[in-house]
Amino acid sequence: MMTGFARRLAGHLTRGLVMIWVVTTFTFVLIRLMPGDPVQVQIERNIAMGMPPDQAEAAAAVTYGFVPHGPMWKQYLEYMGGILRFDLGVSVESQGVPVADRVLGAMPWTVVLVLTGILVSFLIGVVLGVIAAIKRSTVVGHSLSIAGSLLHGVPPFVIGIILAALFTRQWRLFPSGGVYNADEVAPGLYFDFIGNVLYHAALPAAAYALATYGGWLLAMRSSVASVLGDDFLLAAELRGLTSLTRFRYLARNAILPLFTVLAISFGLVFGGSIFIERIFNYPGLGMLLFSSIGSRDYSMMSGAFLMITVAVIVANILADLLYSAIDPRVRRQA
Amino acid sequence: MTITMVKAPAVSISGLTVAYKTDAGELPAVSQVDLELAAGTITGLVGESGSGKSTLALSLLGAVQKPGRVTAGSVVVDGIGDMAKLAGEELRTVRGAKIGYVFQAAQNSLNPLKTVGKQLLDLGKAHKVRDLKGLLRHAKDLLDRMGLNADRVLDAYQHELSGGMRQRVGIMFALVLNAHVLVLDEPTTALDMITQANILQIVRDVHKEQGLTTLVVTHDVGVVAEVAHKIAVMYGGRIVEHGPVTQVLAEPRHPYTRGLIHAIPRLTGDISAAKALPGTPPTLGTIPKQGCVFRERCALRMEVCETVEPPAQRMLDGRTVACHAVKEGAA
Amino acid sequence: MTERVARVSVRKQFWRGVWRALRRRPSRLIGLFIVLLFIFMAIAGSWFYPERLPYDAENIYAPISWEHPLSTDFEGVDVLALVITGTQGVLLVAGAAGLLTMLIGTAVGLYSGYNRGIGDSILMRIADFVLTIPGFPLLIVLTTTISLGSWWKMSLVLGLIGWGSLARAVRSQTLSLRERGFIEAARGLGLPTRHIVTKELLPNVAPFIATNLLMAVTGYIYAQVGLYFLGVLPIDTSNWGVMLNAAVFQSGALISPDALPYLLAPLGAILLLTLGVVLIVDALEEIFNPRLRES
Ligand SMILES: Nc1ncnc2c1ncn2[C@@H]1O[C@H](COP(=O)(O)OP(=O)(O)OP(=O)(O)O)[C@@H](O)[C@H]1O
Ligand SMILES: [Mg+2]
Repeated sequence: MMTGFARRLAGHLTRGLVMIWVVTTFTFVLIRLMPGDPVQVQIERNIAMGMPPDQAEAAAAVTYGFVPHGPMWKQYLEYMGGILRFDLGVSVESQGVPVADRVLGAMPWTVVLVLTGILVSFLIGVVLGVIAAIKRSTVVGHSLSIAGSLLHGVPPFVIGIILAALFTRQWRLFPSGGVYNADEVAPGLYFDFIGNVLYHAALPAAAYALATYGGWLLAMRSSVASVLGDDFLLAAELRGLTSLTRFRYLARNAILPLFTVLAISFGLVFGGSIFIERIFNYPGLGMLLFSSIGSRDYSMMSGAFLMITVAVIVANILADLLYSAIDPRVRRQA
Repeated sequence: MTITMVKAPAVSISGLTVAYKTDAGELPAVSQVDLELAAGTITGLVGESGSGKSTLALSLLGAVQKPGRVTAGSVVVDGIGDMAKLAGEELRTVRGAKIGYVFQAAQNSLNPLKTVGKQLLDLGKAHKVRDLKGLLRHAKDLLDRMGLNADRVLDAYQHELSGGMRQRVGIMFALVLNAHVLVLDEPTTALDMITQANILQIVRDVHKEQGLTTLVVTHDVGVVAEVAHKIAVMYGGRIVEHGPVTQVLAEPRHPYTRGLIHAIPRLTGDISAAKALPGTPPTLGTIPKQGCVFRERCALRMEVCETVEPPAQRMLDGRTVACHAVKEGAA
Repeated sequence: MTERVARVSVRKQFWRGVWRALRRRPSRLIGLFIVLLFIFMAIAGSWFYPERLPYDAENIYAPISWEHPLSTDFEGVDVLALVITGTQGVLLVAGAAGLLTMLIGTAVGLYSGYNRGIGDSILMRIADFVLTIPGFPLLIVLTTTISLGSWWKMSLVLGLIGWGSLARAVRSQTLSLRERGFIEAARGLGLPTRHIVTKELLPNVAPFIATNLLMAVTGYIYAQVGLYFLGVLPIDTSNWGVMLNAAVFQSGALISPDALPYLLAPLGAILLLTLGVVLIVDALEEIFNPRLRES
């Protein structure tokens, strides 16, 4: 007998694995079966540069993680086997650099940005959303909603461009790229370094926060509006509960559904990371994906895309588990 | 804890008008209602859907919801004052502590994210109850008496309770602070017959033991027949007939009361004699602005009904009837 | 006959509701006007401007004048002309993709909500899958093999990526109609499935389709602009993204104040379009979600 929680987790993991399988199959097809087959292109280029054919093929095999001849299903199995061992091949562009290393190196920076951005925007958005819902028939409420929808509707790169133009060019208050200034600090767990990292992350994180808080505001507004119509709040009023307690009842019930929105927003935010990191020259996963596309570094591209997908899946699972831990209707299922 | 038997307070409603703001202007859902809830009695308030029962019940707690407001009249509760004038902290502390209200949708009257016990503590704190343990004990006692497993219920979330259980929890919440006025809005709607009978039994017992003044709102005349001493019949925002249950049921005077009772076979005992009232009840926008509100569906309609609203007349047997066609002595 | 009359009056009432919601806040009329303006620019742009916009090397970053109300770019091409001609391709693709999204999303959502059962769970798994896939990264990965500069390929890809949320919205709406006994009642009257779906269900889910579609189309516009902005698509058409790319990464408009209009024009166009859509959605929401309606 599994508990509801374990069953939920198992379901998530199965679905996540299926998704990863589909995505890797997709990248395999992309690398191997698409017109302009990049594997073949690399082999031919190597031969053209004077490599003997078998050596050229061996080089391609290292790059992509499978031997590029023989039956296609065998190549596929070999590729999938590599992925299971987290062997994502080697970069085409910078020879000899394992893709897994680069991807894992870029990952934390993106995660830091995305998490701080979402956390900040969640807090602001929820508070403003409550105000927008309670004051929805006033000018304040209406302007808040419109402003929220506007920021929610504007694509993240527009926000990024405006922030970059104002704060790195016009006023030069923030650095225009990088994760820390290697001339000033050396990596380590001490105040100056962390401060420097935060200083570099501030603008891109702010761009995420601005790009997503409108979504929270809108979600919270409609959630509050719907909970406000719920009978239990009137019942609480008729029992003479204090307005503070009633507000707490309202807030907790209204925030809960936002955790399901959280799951969806992760996908959007990780997608937006390509723009934000490009605009702010921030070497995270999005930047890695972007530059690998520019240089047609297919192995790096598949690796970065896979990693972004994994990040979204993991974030989704965490958001849902958080939700099920908070909601007693889910938590206490027999 | 000592239960001091305070004499139950009487409630007198006079000239009460409650209006809702709509697209078509401010329309009264309750008009010029005079109603006396004698101390220690159970009054049943019946009427079709939309007749204004809940609105009237809410005004007993000064809790008419926006976009509605009390536009005239008063609701005076002995020892508290006019509920229509109370506001702020004063109003809040009266609610729950002095006047208990069981919600029409008591099925959904609990916060889904908190256990019943935690919500009970919230209630205690809101009313500055110092002896929270005593409050818990009292709640358990009430729940036990209502045939529930008190410990289980206090530890349960709303979704873990059945409709009938929630209803009883709602009643417990209304009584646990020793309120002496109890308002129940459709306490048995949506419950099966057995649970319904059970709940009514509880209402009757608790009413007697705690010495309450009770108002039971329902559209089911059968419920009133079972528990109430007095019955008030509401139509289009007016009380059209009010009097002792046995008398009114045996010999209804107002044509609407008559129609209402004849529509129910189990009261008249003869299924073939049961006939539905013709037409439909008015809604807020279609209540006639002048004359008798019931005339459209009335068999005794006269010319005067078109223009003059019938005043509530006091009959010799003590009841009140608002109808031009009913004269003293006529049955 | 009477049924037809009833339906017509319902429709009339609906339009009256739309009109009332629009009038309640004049801002909503402005929103409608803005969106219509962009559609007009897309249709009429090619009447006013030649295929290749004239450039004038003598007149780079010209000061703002009647002739060049939004200045000129680094080749001396009129910026206003660039903004206007940039709407056509983008709107065409977004419209086509939106149509595809609408077809798939509505069909899947209705089928799932109406029939439920195993088909529903499979379709919803797929919808969740499509929703979870990070769409934009997928899009730029695809640019490496599919030439997304072609309008129909781009529409196809966008439409296929984007139907998940619409399908979910339509399904949950259908389910709630079902809970309210809509479908059972119609079945009880012996109405054929086709009638129930087209006459009872569709009109009731139409509002959600409208709102979702409007958002989806806007999203598609921005996805294309984003791709051009990153420079992963061949630059052969007028596109706001191309302008942004040049302004931000190449000509250095971020540094030279002369080039500022060249950066601000596409930004302004995006902000304006978003504003228009937001104002319309605001009106739509009020029409279809009475709970949000202010008293
Ligand atoms: N918030 C509101 N806004 C506008 N009109 C309202 C509101 N609440 C109630 N009304 C109207 O007031 C009238 C009386 O409503 P009320 O809820 O008191 O009826 P009721 O007798 O309790 O009906 P039911 O038996 O269905 O509970 C109805 O016509 C209703 O439409
Ligand atoms: Mg009611």
